[in-house]
Amino acid sequence: MAYKPQYGPGTSTVAENRRRQMNPDIELEKVREVTDEDVVLVLGHRAPGSAYPTAHPPLAEQQEPECPIRKIVEATEGAKAGDRVRYVQFVDSMYNGPSQPYQRTYTECYRFRGIDPGTLSGRQIVECRERDLEAYSKWLIETEMFDPALTSIRGATVHGHSLRLAEDGLMFDMLQRCILGEDGVVRYVKDQIGEPLDREVLVGKPQDDAWSKGKSTIFHSLVGESYRDDEEYIEYIVRVHTLRTKYGFMPTEE
Amino acid sequence: MTEADYPQCRIVPLRMLKPDSSEKLLNLVVKISGIRRMMINGPNLPRTVPYGPARGKPNPNTNRRVITVGTSDFELHVQVGSITLEVMDDSVIEEIRALCDAFFAEKNFPYQLQSGRKFMKTQASLTDYAKYGPNVDPAVIGLTDPRKKEGPIIIQGR
Repeated sequence: MAYKPQYGPGTSTVAENRRRQMNPDIELEKVREVTDEDVVLVLGHRAPGSAYPTAHPPLAEQQEPECPIRKIVEATEGAKAGDRVRYVQFVDSMYNGPSQPYQRTYTECYRFRGIDPGTLSGRQIVECRERDLEAYSKWLIETEMFDPALTSIRGATVHGHSLRLAEDGLMFDMLQRCILGEDGVVRYVKDQIGEPLDREVLVGKPQDDAWSKGKSTIFHSLVGESYRDDEEYIEYIVRVHTLRTKYGFMPTEE
Repeated sequence: MTEADYPQCRIVPLRMLKPDSSEKLLNLVVKISGIRRMMINGPNLPRTVPYGPARGKPNPNTNRRVITVGTSDFELHVQVGSITLEVMDDSVIEEIRALCDAFFAEKNFPYQLQSGRKFMKTQASLTDYAKYGPNVDPAVIGLTDPRKKEGPIIIQGR
């Protein structure tokens, strides 16, 4: 029997959005455009236009050991070229942010190759080879996984995901990496670790409330959908917890 | 220790205020007579990057600026999340409520005015004792972080 992934339970919009993001067969809506140079600037790992520093010689130039796994798994472009491993870290607001740490990790694991995600309560980091990272980051910024006001690229000093939004609708950022311009466009003035950029990087206008609510993958009983209202999700989570508790004692369902 | 318990209240807007709005609101609030003490809370806006690879580098931030309240100038170190006030009696809280109703109606986001007795310290804690000693002015307790050098700001009455 062919396995057909279900991605997740739930009947709510949030659950549906979670499945949408995770399912690699669904192409996510492209909401904005950023250039490759913009991405390089915000990541801050190398100067735009400079060559990729390498951690080892390209795979083609070195003798690889006889290994069946290497024959099965094709190396990513970054690994082939011997790029360094670098990171990007995202923070999503709990106020209808378009994604959240676990969701990002699941999504990336389904959609990307050669990654090492790190999932924390308020932030999610993903590490991979530099040129792969730039391509993945670009996708993460351009699609509906990103909202200029409610999502932020923060390498360090990430505090803000659970705080009330600022008056202008942006998520609190101690380092004020992005600002809302007079024209309503959010622009990054610092890279992800908080060093000022040579030029502003525009990431578009914040999405309106209806869009944010419709695309959110986080339950919030005050500003969005309430977790308790999704009975299927509750049933699923109760089952997981019941089996976890019984595990080691009598891991069977009655 | 304060001799009597004074009523306290806390203004909690749904959105965190920008320096301009905070300045405007505080200037309206200080015009009300009968406010004993006032405290601004919110997440810190450090002068330098506190951690990460850029640690120690300057952190330019438009939300951290000098504001003028009454006749006193001071630098906002936080993004204003709530304002706690200790007042002489309950009628002052109603005046504050009326003022805030008008202010936040203009802002288009709601706020909460919570009232109670213990939003800010009224008694010296062990830390206060270690910092200020036994003969501390009760008006200072709970107003500033004892670890910081800067003291409270005195805003003159009308």
